[in-house]
Amino acid sequence: MKTLILGIGNPVLSDDGVGIRVAQEVSKRVCDPQITVAEACHGGLFILDAVLGYDRVLLIDSIQTKEGTPGEVYRLRPSDLPLARHLSSPHQVDFITALELGKVLDLPMPERIDIIAVEAGEVTSFGERCTREVEQAIPVVVEMVLSEFQASGRDKG
Amino acid sequence: MKKITIDPITRLEGHGKIAIFLDDRGDVANAYLQIPELRGFEKFCEGRPAEDMPQILQRICGVCPEAHHLASTKALDDLFQVEPTVTAKKVRELLYSAFFVTDHTTHFYILAGPDFMMGPESPVAERNILGVIRKMGVELGKRVIQTRQQNHWVIQTIGGRGIHPVFGLPGGISKGISEENRAKIEEIAKSSVDFARLSIKIFDDVVIKNKEYLDMMLSDTFTQRTYYMGLVDGQNKLNFYDGRIRIVDPQGKEFAKYDPREYLEHLAERVEPWSYLKFPYLKKVGWRGFTDGEKSGIYRATPLSRLNVAEGMATPLAQEEYEKMYATLGGKPVHHTLATHWARVIEMLYAAERMLELSKDPDITNLDIRNIPTSTPKEGVGVVEAPRGTLTHHYVTDERGLIRKCNLIVGTTNNHAAICLAIKKAAQDLIKQGREITEGLLNRIELSWRAFDPCMGCATHTLPGQLPLEVKIYDSDGHVVRTLNQFDS
Repeated sequence: MKTLILGIGNPVLSDDGVGIRVAQEVSKRVCDPQITVAEACHGGLFILDAVLGYDRVLLIDSIQTKEGTPGEVYRLRPSDLPLARHLSSPHQVDFITALELGKVLDLPMPERIDIIAVEAGEVTSFGERCTREVEQAIPVVVEMVLSEFQASGRDKG
Repeated sequence: MKKITIDPITRLEGHGKIAIFLDDRGDVANAYLQIPELRGFEKFCEGRPAEDMPQILQRICGVCPEAHHLASTKALDDLFQVEPTVTAKKVRELLYSAFFVTDHTTHFYILAGPDFMMGPESPVAERNILGVIRKMGVELGKRVIQTRQQNHWVIQTIGGRGIHPVFGLPGGISKGISEENRAKIEEIAKSSVDFARLSIKIFDDVVIKNKEYLDMMLSDTFTQRTYYMGLVDGQNKLNFYDGRIRIVDPQGKEFAKYDPREYLEHLAERVEPWSYLKFPYLKKVGWRGFTDGEKSGIYRATPLSRLNVAEGMATPLAQEEYEKMYATLGGKPVHHTLATHWARVIEMLYAAERMLELSKDPDITNLDIRNIPTSTPKEGVGVVEAPRGTLTHHYVTDERGLIRKCNLIVGTTNNHAAICLAIKKAAQDLIKQGREITEGLLNRIELSWRAFDPCMGCATHTLPGQLPLEVKIYDSDGHVVRTLNQFDS
């Protein structure tokens, strides 16, 4: 199964870079040729471009929720996200719209998309490191990703 | 870990917060666009090697990293006092042309197009790319995605990495173009020219031939008489990559033309207590508040501005369309903000044609791609036209090339005052004493805002999210009487 593990974020914007940091760690430890580990700093349509042609995709990103605690880890499916189709930024369409666009245009979309989101604290100050709570979540998420794919490898095995 | 119901807040809360203040009678007294700024940027750059700037600075913006990469690379040319080779300049411009094709395509079809193709009064849930595809057909949708993908391939092939290029070096670039890739780029350029012509035809059919839209475009609500800024080449033709900065006054007369290094002699920045983002204005005209006309130093740097300052387009098909636009809209300059969308599709055609020219240029595959710098660095300025306006990078370093000071004026910052002015004017025309304030108001205000394609240099991604635009209306005592936003639906 052709799989993409995609870390999303801005590597110089504090906690926003958590997805990138996780992807970098994971890429050092994955050697299955069926699994690609990549980084992206865009949302919306760029994510659509990135996922085309894969069977399975795991996105790792930061998120901010109304009463969230920084460092908290969430496991989500696209269907957990609100079906708002407004623009997520003045420059992009939101993720759900991008996925739906792929289906409408009959593009080679993945069968399954999962999301691991880490609650971010600081996302408006420049910095190459995450805040303490988010930094501590990085190894947790890395292990979560690795165990999942090793497990699925064994299943196949 | 727990299963939760996500209740996300938009990542850049406050981004695009519009405050409208009413007077005693219930008419609009003032309207502002407030923008929060990301913090600590200068400090983040201080002490780092200048050569790192093309990599780091493109990260401040998830929308036009290619523009930051090239403005930064040009600032390094200037800083290290080294002239890039002819091939290096052409290859940089080739990548940049492909970037303009993708960026303008995205804006026209996905961001602005829905307003026109679906109609400004259509429900918000319909005004998006999916609505456009339902109306215009799946084939067009496929071509939009294909054009983006093909040009991303060009950017990746030349730039060494997708989205965030790594090829710019002081004095040149890090790798050249093979004949095999050149031939592919030529094919993509041809296909992009066809696509840009199709886009112009769609704009013509859907907008220009529709009286309701044309009237709206020409209406006073969406008109501001400002100064305009843009880069021009030696013949005063529009150029995205290089040239001198030309400014024309509201009559269309040349007001200034200068080398990018002299920008501080021409621009000053106004600070307002209610916004972190500054308001640049023309120093020699002066700040007269949020008002337009010849006496106000407010200028615009947008696709329409670039056409207004240029004496024409350097490629034949774009030139034809340029002439047609000014003939239709009654000559130069055009002050109608919504005509920015028209200018944008003409620029898309120019970018595709320029890409085709460069892909066929005999120099483009030369191996002479870099001059090695030998001078001691001190200070450098680099300017390109970003899709949203003139982009300036300015660095001061010590003799080892470590950054001491870094100043940027990004495309949207140029337009900050003009955006506030446009919103105020739309609000004044649309909100009147006794008239009910509806969703339609938000749509119309959004139209004037979106024409600028504003970029706050930060929106790398939002997962998930909504259009971060909120309108708050205050009465003359400062109480909020109405809030309109798109976060709740």
